[in-house]
Amino acid sequence: MYCIKCGVKLADSEKKCPLCDTVVCHPEFENMARGNLYPENKIPNTVSNAKTINGVILILFMIPLIICFLTDIKINGRLDWFGYVAGALAVSYVMFAFPLWFKKRNPVIFTACALVMVILYLLYISLSTNGGWFMSFAFPVAGGLSLIICTVVALLHYLKKGRLYIIGGALISLGAFMMLIEFFLNITFDLPYLWWSIYPLSGLVLFGGLLIFLGINRTAREIMERKLFF
Amino acid sequence: MTGKQLRWVRLDNAAKIYPAARRRNWSNVFRQSATLYEDVDKDVLKSALDVVVKRFPSIAARLRKGAFWFYLEQVEKAPEIKEEYSYPLTYMSKKEMQKCAFRIIVYRNRIAVEFFHSLTDGTGAHIFLKNLLAEYIEQKYSVTVPIEDGILDRREPPKDEELEDSFLKNAGAVRASRKDTNAWHMTGEIQRDGFLNLTCFRIPVEDLLNASHKYDVTMTAFMCAVVMKALLNLQKEKNPCIKKQKRVKVLIPVNLRKLFPSKTLRNFAMYTIPEADPRLGEYTFEELCTIVKNKMGLEITAKHMGSMITANVNDEKNPIVRLMPLPLKNAVMKAIFDSVGEIKSCLALSNLGRVKVPEVMGKYIQRFDFILGVQADAPYNCGMLSYGDTVYVNFIRNIKEPGLERHFFAVLQELGIPVTVESNQKER
Repeated sequence: MYCIKCGVKLADSEKKCPLCDTVVCHPEFENMARGNLYPENKIPNTVSNAKTINGVILILFMIPLIICFLTDIKINGRLDWFGYVAGALAVSYVMFAFPLWFKKRNPVIFTACALVMVILYLLYISLSTNGGWFMSFAFPVAGGLSLIICTVVALLHYLKKGRLYIIGGALISLGAFMMLIEFFLNITFDLPYLWWSIYPLSGLVLFGGLLIFLGINRTAREIMERKLFF
Repeated sequence: MTGKQLRWVRLDNAAKIYPAARRRNWSNVFRQSATLYEDVDKDVLKSALDVVVKRFPSIAARLRKGAFWFYLEQVEKAPEIKEEYSYPLTYMSKKEMQKCAFRIIVYRNRIAVEFFHSLTDGTGAHIFLKNLLAEYIEQKYSVTVPIEDGILDRREPPKDEELEDSFLKNAGAVRASRKDTNAWHMTGEIQRDGFLNLTCFRIPVEDLLNASHKYDVTMTAFMCAVVMKALLNLQKEKNPCIKKQKRVKVLIPVNLRKLFPSKTLRNFAMYTIPEADPRLGEYTFEELCTIVKNKMGLEITAKHMGSMITANVNDEKNPIVRLMPLPLKNAVMKAIFDSVGEIKSCLALSNLGRVKVPEVMGKYIQRFDFILGVQADAPYNCGMLSYGDTVYVNFIRNIKEPGLERHFFAVLQELGIPVTVESNQKER
């Protein structure tokens, strides 16, 4: 039998064309397991390097954690600043090392996990310092930024096309979000409103708009590619 | 047999680099297999193996560590027959090599032997496999296999000439330069679970011979030109900017037994690397054939190969190297291997040639296969041989995309050579 896409003659054992991945389609041929070149789904249990490396990384994170714990106890006789160090290490670990434990790393899920950790860390700092700024400032700002970042990551991950639109749209949203940040600063810390946010907003809207324009206009995109390739 | 009576041999000159160069996810292992017409009888095979391991003490061996060098020690008894996995050449761990540095694998009607490269080269491995098959067929079907076409008398003790390090014997006075340019490095998405994709092209010998004769080259040179053309097309597809393209180079192992008087069953091979620089312009297939033919003609001579052997042997004989403790030596050899070993070629194309077996054996054997392991840092390798009226070309890769195979097929198709393809592919 022959592959209907690339035309190569296939052995009877083939379920898909090994060259172009096209499914073999011939009603008269029944795939016979007997003819398979190798047994299916029989993978050896190899010693995973990844697990060893991940274990080493975990130990590397644990060392400063333990040192800080002991030092804090020794100096202050109680846990004083240790919580900040532990929180920062936990955020860094979830952000950079935690995904390494998984074979299939979905960036959308891990980005969301990392951002949740950041928000929890901010909550901890706010509570332990009696700052009172979490609900009125940190949560809406970090939450809003997380929403934008997660949306961009999800769109980039799941959509194959339209990157210029996604990034352009994200930049414009970020610009608009700057005004919100300034608003929350105003209500939480009594800082003046519409003082600085207009500058990043205009810059981001211009740049985001340019990217969307390039996404729409093929000629302009090609000109830019020609001028900017490296 | 006690441990003291077991035969041991020093690693030959070529074999020394392989234990040092191995890493956690890569061991230099290759496979030779024979597919029979009937399912394999494991009990008979075990019995045949018991006979054959005694005849080949340098191949049926395990890797051991000395203070200054590794060495091979004959195994006390034949290893257990293993079952096939979904892909060939699964990782051979250090622990496994220390028990036995080769494996016997049976899958339905196929007997496969996987060798750590320090034991032997393709030719030595092939003689081992043929003798195992001869013993198996004799025991299973009560026939007598004549001592010809690489079949040895399995009951006689091993000969000294089979165990010699022919590199040392044939080193000359002048050493060849090792200076060479780097080759294009193929890349792709690595299979995460260590899966190796095998794609076997079956090509009629007659068609391939006719095409080779048309271009006035040998079959090896012709196939090398096909692979080079496929590599050039693949690189062009991945990187259309000609200025940024790199040299396409294919390493062809050379069996030195044909150039020097040697009957060794250990490593005795060198190589030649034909190359094409795409920055100089498009190459026609005829041009590639001429390049390969001239390169092979120039380098595959006893004089040139002798000078290459000399370079390696001189390094081995260097007193500083010899006195270096093994761990330090390993580190140095690994660094050398990483910096000059594989980066000089895109892949190896190893042609075992025409496989001949005594007529009485041929009745039971359907096909042979020769599969190289992937290189340490390059995703492809290719082994081929011909048996009966078919050439079996086995491409192995540790990346997901079958780019080279697609281009290889396209080149053969352009040349009007029919192929049948089969694989061990899994869901990508």
